[in-house]
Amino acid sequence: MATSNSGDKGTRNLVIIMVGFIVTVGVVFSIISNRASSNFEIPAAVSPTDGYGIVLNPTATPKIDVYVDYQCPACRAFELMNGGYLNEVIAQNKAKVVFHPMTFIGPESILAANAAACSADENRFVDMNLALFQNQPAGENTGKWGNETLIALGNSVGITSEKFKQCVNDGKYVKWTRNITVESGKRNVNSTPTILINGKPLDRNTEYGDPAKFRAALEAAGIK
Amino acid sequence: MRDKFVLVQPWLTLLARLILGGVLIVAGALKVGNLQKSAMAVRAYEMLPIWLANLFGYVLPWIEIGIGSLLVVGALVKINGLLGALIMLAFIIAIAQAWARGLSIDCGCFGGGGSIDPEDTKYLSEIIRDIGLLGLGVFLYFYPKGRFALDK
Repeated sequence: MATSNSGDKGTRNLVIIMVGFIVTVGVVFSIISNRASSNFEIPAAVSPTDGYGIVLNPTATPKIDVYVDYQCPACRAFELMNGGYLNEVIAQNKAKVVFHPMTFIGPESILAANAAACSADENRFVDMNLALFQNQPAGENTGKWGNETLIALGNSVGITSEKFKQCVNDGKYVKWTRNITVESGKRNVNSTPTILINGKPLDRNTEYGDPAKFRAALEAAGIK
Repeated sequence: MRDKFVLVQPWLTLLARLILGGVLIVAGALKVGNLQKSAMAVRAYEMLPIWLANLFGYVLPWIEIGIGSLLVVGALVKINGLLGALIMLAFIIAIAQAWARGLSIDCGCFGGGGSIDPEDTKYLSEIIRDIGLLGLGVFLYFYPKGRFALDK
């Protein structure tokens, strides 16, 4: 009886130690693998001081920050509704626009953000950004967005270089997405899309879903 | 009546362990696959400084899995019952303060989380569920000895 009891105790203690070990390893791994680093490769258009976002028209004012996740349906709706006007603003150099492709929806958001960053190196970010939303799969992480699809999507907006292909296939900017995550966290961005004009968020109840009000908000910041 | 309880209690303890432990394991496992979202969910409560909220977001899912696993196998039931109850109490306070302050968030209890439309909030049902789970944890603290447990 005594021996079987101590055997049971041994099993119990072993289980406790194992669970403790798994939890500790999990915690350490989670913290390390989600850390940002200034050593990660970043696209040329990325500015560390702008939350590691992709910067268009760096010297223009006002500043518009756009936080999206390429798999987020509300971001797709926003892009299809207001993206045309925003892209006009960008094309006419009327504002500094910083895109922050977030990746909290999962692996395919990371692939898409990487491809978008690769397109920035080809100076085709705006087109790729639109194409990604236009071709957003129904459902999250369905397996529809792989590197081949994303390269084909790049081709469809005129990015045909071998460099782009390699950038997508190598996942060159996958680690950079961690910097975006950490920086958007610091700025307390907890949903997408989030648009800030000179650091001030648009009104979630009205200004996202109404093109006239979106224009008015930009106009109030001096974009005519 | 007393005799009957003595007879039934070890089974009730087993049931409480399996429910509370099972819920914690599922809740942790669903979050562990997407820790960015987990951190975002904690931030959205706007209770903690951002660095601490992020840390919680990364650590909490593993803690849930750890406590849940030990409850299911029946190791350190008294302590883990108490810890489970304390976690639920923290969740209840967090959800209640979000509700009272008029935030519109998903509790992020089983993955998900972050800001949502005001009409999509479910604070009351989330709080009721967590009160139930809190009750199970308290029960386990007072009656940790049950069937099929590693604790002897």
